[in-house]
Amino acid sequence: MKLQIKIIPFVLVGASLLIFPLAYGQNKFKLRPDAKGKLCLECHDKFKEKLKDKFIHTPVKSGECSECHNPHTSRHGKLLDTDTNKICIKCHQGIIPAKAQSVHKVAMEGNCVKCHDPHGSNNKNNLLKAGNELCFTCHKTIGDAVTKAKFKHNPVEKGCLTCHDPHGSSKSKDLLKKELISLCSDCHKPNSPAFVRDHLNYPVANANCSSCHDPHGSNKGGILFDNVHAPVANKNCIQCHESPTSSTPFKTKREGYELCRGCHSTMMNDTFSKSRIHWPVVSKEGCLSCHEAHASTQKKLLIGNVVSLCGKCHSDTMEKRDKYAEMDKKEKASLAAAKGKPQDKGDIAHKPVSEGDCLACHKAHASDSVFLMANPSQTELCGTCHEWLKHSSHPLGEKIIDSRNKNLTLQCLSCHKSHGTGYTHLNPFPTVTELCVQCHKKFKR
Amino acid sequence: MSSGSESRLERGERMAGTSIKIILIISILLLPWKSFGAETAKLRYFQSIYFDERGGGMRQPEGLALSDKSVLIVGDTGNGRLLRYTFQDKTIAGGSEMKVPQLSSPIRVQVDSKGEIYSLDGKQRRIVRLSPKGEFKGYLSPEGLPSPSNFVPRSFKIGASDLFYILDIFSGRVLVVTPNGKYQKHIEFPKSYGFFSDLAIDQKGGILLIDSVRKMVFAAPKDSKEFTPLAGSLKEYLSFPTYITTDNRGTIYMVDESGAGIVMLGQEGSFLGRQLSIGWNEGLLNNPSQMCINEKGEVFIADRGNSRIQIFTQVK
Repeated sequence: MKLQIKIIPFVLVGASLLIFPLAYGQNKFKLRPDAKGKLCLECHDKFKEKLKDKFIHTPVKSGECSECHNPHTSRHGKLLDTDTNKICIKCHQGIIPAKAQSVHKVAMEGNCVKCHDPHGSNNKNNLLKAGNELCFTCHKTIGDAVTKAKFKHNPVEKGCLTCHDPHGSSKSKDLLKKELISLCSDCHKPNSPAFVRDHLNYPVANANCSSCHDPHGSNKGGILFDNVHAPVANKNCIQCHESPTSSTPFKTKREGYELCRGCHSTMMNDTFSKSRIHWPVVSKEGCLSCHEAHASTQKKLLIGNVVSLCGKCHSDTMEKRDKYAEMDKKEKASLAAAKGKPQDKGDIAHKPVSEGDCLACHKAHASDSVFLMANPSQTELCGTCHEWLKHSSHPLGEKIIDSRNKNLTLQCLSCHKSHGTGYTHLNPFPTVTELCVQCHKKFKR
Repeated sequence: MSSGSESRLERGERMAGTSIKIILIISILLLPWKSFGAETAKLRYFQSIYFDERGGGMRQPEGLALSDKSVLIVGDTGNGRLLRYTFQDKTIAGGSEMKVPQLSSPIRVQVDSKGEIYSLDGKQRRIVRLSPKGEFKGYLSPEGLPSPSNFVPRSFKIGASDLFYILDIFSGRVLVVTPNGKYQKHIEFPKSYGFFSDLAIDQKGGILLIDSVRKMVFAAPKDSKEFTPLAGSLKEYLSFPTYITTDNRGTIYMVDESGAGIVMLGQEGSFLGRQLSIGWNEGLLNNPSQMCINEKGEVFIADRGNSRIQIFTQVK
């Protein structure tokens, strides 16, 4: 009995230690019981209108403004209790799957307000816009393609969330709710006679559907990508692959570029006649290093746009490109701000490079020049855009020897670096003087 | 007795204290040596070669190789020829031209133990065999290859016993063949890679591959049947490496073509340093291609963009 009495104070202290933080958490600002929310609305009068929205965020509905805002002071905008990008996760911890295979960038960055109104909205889940309209605000290219597509894909019409998880997916890439094949076969049964017939008896049940079909709709029947390889369009799979009854039906009849050479012999012969080849052409992947075999959104069946395609291997060049484009933008903005109007001090970025038009200067397959230049003469190549260059007063060309090195002739690239240097006019030195005195040494000071 | 033992104790303590101080001082003095112990020697510019023996200039040379007898063979790619020099006692001599119609674009050069010259022709993508004097002797045509029988050499190296190691990018493998082309074995490229531009044979007979896209080195030790990454991505130090070789101490050298530099790694893949930079002046590089190192550690680089060969010595 005595022992029980002795325990009581400890129990009371323990209980108070447990209860106090909870109670404090519930009412850390010691608000009067009748003050919740109502007190805030005394000043934030316009907020009353917001409360009329169809869907209200739970803490707002229960008047717990202090769940997110600090009524006194804060280091964060809008008197938020925590950083804007971290506050939602306080309650919505499981919104991104623990072992996500793909995560929506905005969710990962905590930019929840890009899609949700933190107080309330007339759209379910407090979304800023309803349905696909919200997604197409950022994914404009897809939105435009979906709108213009002649052949629509039903699930897209129903809503992006039919196939995608907006926050993250633990099952697949591209925020897909399931693995692609499994997702497609929910509706398109691979064993159905129509499906088998349409795929010319090839066992495509486990093939990558999106290597031919555009899941967002297209202008081609069967929602094939807009640019279709002729044998696919002609349903002539056997032109490249073994027979559907073969034990290896998808095996190609020949390896690498040798398969493509059968039809594209003129292009291939031209490629092989040059002294310098783009090595991926003759690699194991061959033409598929850059081209899709079946269908593509891009012309010439390219895997992606030129920047992403070339950048796949030449990431160093693309990183410089982005860096110099950014510098160029900043330089021009600061000049404009200082003088009131843009000043022409020369570009830091080379236009075809910043526009991602690699093929303006380079050949994709082969060339007789280093760097696979499109024209063996630098002055002629540069002269296609820089017409004035042909009339420049500085001697240029194959007959003019570079005074720094007798094996070099004076070319445009003797003074400029075509992919940029970080200085204006693609000058390898910070000032023009520093460049000129490389050869004109007597003027060096 | 007591005072005597105390004094011995004091002496002992003093000696121990002095020893600790000495150890500390030595440690401090050795610190810089220890810090830079792993760092390799620096490349110091020595000489450039611009011309052949008749005064004709080189044009975008990409290949070069040294024989055991101090013969330097240069692949003068832009001029579609090979040039033969000697380099003895730090003196360059010769520069005779070797030109055959079968070799219009020599992009890689190797010399075997007999002095025979092998060069990869960039246009035909075939390995051309020449006598030490430069007469055409045929092509290195591997025989008895496992399927596929076709192959495309991106590069090649000659290892011990004059075995040829060919980087076959068409089938994604390294082929090992005898000088007469007889197939010995092959090792498949790793499952995941970007693009392999070159291979090297280290002192222990292992094979190294340089992945230009991922900026990684893959290694297959001697008798291994697969390649594994030697180190992680070297993106921090390399822009687009296209050539790899080793010296007689096992140090790995990589030519950073677009970054215009040489990066060195230890045998285990540890970063040892980056040397040289972009420019026109002697000692600087512009889109360097092949390089080689002789027994004395002298480094020869085909400075393609500057249409010259540059020679560097190594200083500590």
